[in-house]
Amino acid sequence: MLKILVCVKQVPDVNLVKIDPVTGSLIRAGVPAILNPLDGNALEAAVRTKEKYGGAVTVITMGPDQAAEALRECLAAGADRAVLLSDRAFANADTLATSYVIVTAAKLLGEYDLIFCGKESLDGATGQMASQLAERFDASQLSSVRTVLEVDEKERTVTAERELAGGIETAQAQLPCLMTVEKTNYRPRIPNLKSWKASRTAEIEKYTSDTIPGLDRAQIGDPGSPTKVPRTYPPEKGPGGEMIREGSAAKDAEKLFALIADRL
Amino acid sequence: MASYNRLSPAAAEKLRAVVGEGRFQYGDAVREEYSHDEMPIYGRYLPEAVCLAESTEEVSAILKICHEENVPVTVRGAGTGLVGGCVPVAGGVVLSTMRMNRILSYDMNNLVVHTQPGVRLCDLAADALAHGLMYPPDPGEKTATVGGNVSTNAGGMRAVKYGVTRDYVLAMTVVLPDGRIMKLGKTVCKTSSGYSLLHLMIGSEGTLGVITELTLKLVPKPRMDVSLILPFRDIATAIASVPAIKLANLDPQSIEFMERDIVDSSAAFTGNAVFPTVVNGREAGAYILVTLVGEGEAELTAKMDRLGEVAEKAGAYDTLVVWTDGLKKDVWAARSAFLTVIEAETKLLDEMDVVVPVDRIAEFLVYTHDEAERQGVYVRSFGHAGDGNLHIYCCSNDLEEDEFKRRVKKLMDACYAKCTEFEGQVSGEHSIGHAKKEYLRESVGDTAYGLMGAIKQVFDPKGILNPGKVCHDWEGGALDA
Repeated sequence: MLKILVCVKQVPDVNLVKIDPVTGSLIRAGVPAILNPLDGNALEAAVRTKEKYGGAVTVITMGPDQAAEALRECLAAGADRAVLLSDRAFANADTLATSYVIVTAAKLLGEYDLIFCGKESLDGATGQMASQLAERFDASQLSSVRTVLEVDEKERTVTAERELAGGIETAQAQLPCLMTVEKTNYRPRIPNLKSWKASRTAEIEKYTSDTIPGLDRAQIGDPGSPTKVPRTYPPEKGPGGEMIREGSAAKDAEKLFALIADRL
Repeated sequence: MASYNRLSPAAAEKLRAVVGEGRFQYGDAVREEYSHDEMPIYGRYLPEAVCLAESTEEVSAILKICHEENVPVTVRGAGTGLVGGCVPVAGGVVLSTMRMNRILSYDMNNLVVHTQPGVRLCDLAADALAHGLMYPPDPGEKTATVGGNVSTNAGGMRAVKYGVTRDYVLAMTVVLPDGRIMKLGKTVCKTSSGYSLLHLMIGSEGTLGVITELTLKLVPKPRMDVSLILPFRDIATAIASVPAIKLANLDPQSIEFMERDIVDSSAAFTGNAVFPTVVNGREAGAYILVTLVGEGEAELTAKMDRLGEVAEKAGAYDTLVVWTDGLKKDVWAARSAFLTVIEAETKLLDEMDVVVPVDRIAEFLVYTHDEAERQGVYVRSFGHAGDGNLHIYCCSNDLEEDEFKRRVKKLMDACYAKCTEFEGQVSGEHSIGHAKKEYLRESVGDTAYGLMGAIKQVFDPKGILNPGKVCHDWEGGALDA
């Protein structure tokens, strides 16, 4: 029976986020929060692995109370247990402080054979969390996994295909192993009515900085975050396009070729 | 039968003076796109001139000139029609409403919006939502104009709950063929005041007058909605579930059906395989997609429970809950892409937009597939299961065009006859144009068809507005593009 952990994040739907042109900060007001899309792929990989080998999937997140909605989405899509780490003291955490809190709390709940993550978040997009989590869990790591081929519980190994720029690589790692998952083969399932309903009333286990024993306060939230962001700003806008309207497709094409030739 | 004059250079100059150089195309400057709509199989006909009007007064001036000169005028919105409705088969002038694209004002106390006809449906829908209101008609082609929607009485996905475009038009400004400006309807919800010329204009496909302003009814935006996918073994089982769904007192906003092959094509085309193909170990052959609305989660959950029970009894493989906004967007984007997918995969294409009683949809589809097989034409279908409106596309990638047309004619003759036998309608929302006139005549009978022609004669004695459409005969030498 595999013990599987999936680390997820609730993010603002960045497709709907605007950037304040003066301050350069994200305008998040009124923007819906969603489960980080790549985390949905990680969850699907975890649930399919559970369905194949048996076991249980715990999903964990750090965030405000509203992040419970993202956890419910995971429960609807096949997770068995959901854990929310929520406390004002966790606010302004960078990836180092976040990975510290998540791993400290997750270790309290048990041990894991497999840990799944999306490869990056839609908002911060640092892609740093997976490696930090693997290090803190003392787990091996397989990144860019497109297919989990086999888990051998007796030999304590996992074999997976990795999606690389130049091709596909088959790699094997020791358990416990953390895998970041590509979206190629793991589209999140649409929950059926039964599991969706169960997810709406399921218990979400909540922990704060006071209920995670042994948490070093110097390593959490703002004090525990060495990363400082001096400035964010929107990318500079390029010049606007030019409409070609010469009256016919043939003339449009002629004009387009002429313009390209001019610029070459 | 009407005969027309060609647009003289002098008349063209008068038109140019009305709209100005930048909004006028004449002769060689007329762009090819004005010669067809999205169903080019019905022929391409280039107009002699195009005017992009911006106001009621300009439309009036254009019509006065054309009326005096006896030159035909065909009104055109976004050109997304499928029966040649906006195609100038007798040449003359195309009057585009695309520059009349302003939403004029909202009346929040009476829940109405005043708009010009060239506003795109997607823009009106989004703008109404931003005002906390919903414009209920939701035809699949979101880039169509509202003027086009009114002219065809378009229906769409939400018709099963809210009704069709006709039910949301309260008033309009119309320019008659001789240039007179007329206001029809009032901003009130009831009338028992003489013949409804307003409702005669709705669905008249630009043959009676030119709509230049619209007052449309809105409703408060529903607080919550959820979509549910019901996968079935095959289309017959899927369709058979619809009466039970309608009887379950759920007041669904949409009940759509789709066959597996179009879902597969949509997934391949959009790269978005959102509909599961294997459900609980079984291959799905067809789907019903239902949208429910409610005031809160508890109400929706109760409705979903009832739907789940009905679906299970009807043989659905499962009831899948499309709850998150992202998933809803993906599912409905896949549904909305169907026609685009068919167009992209098909060299020769023709369509039927019949409406049959809901409990005869499956029978009609089986008949159509059998006939299509007999004629060697490939048929793909999807549509509005909740109101019996089917979109059936006849496709071929290997036949010669003439042979395709010959076979499709045989297929359609049989299918429209079957539709009439089932007490159905020739078109649910795509209209008649010049493509479906004969089928309309057969469906409504000579007496009704004759009355339609007589009405056209009263509004447009010279027959200059959109000649050759709906019930108007014109077989002159086409000015082929």
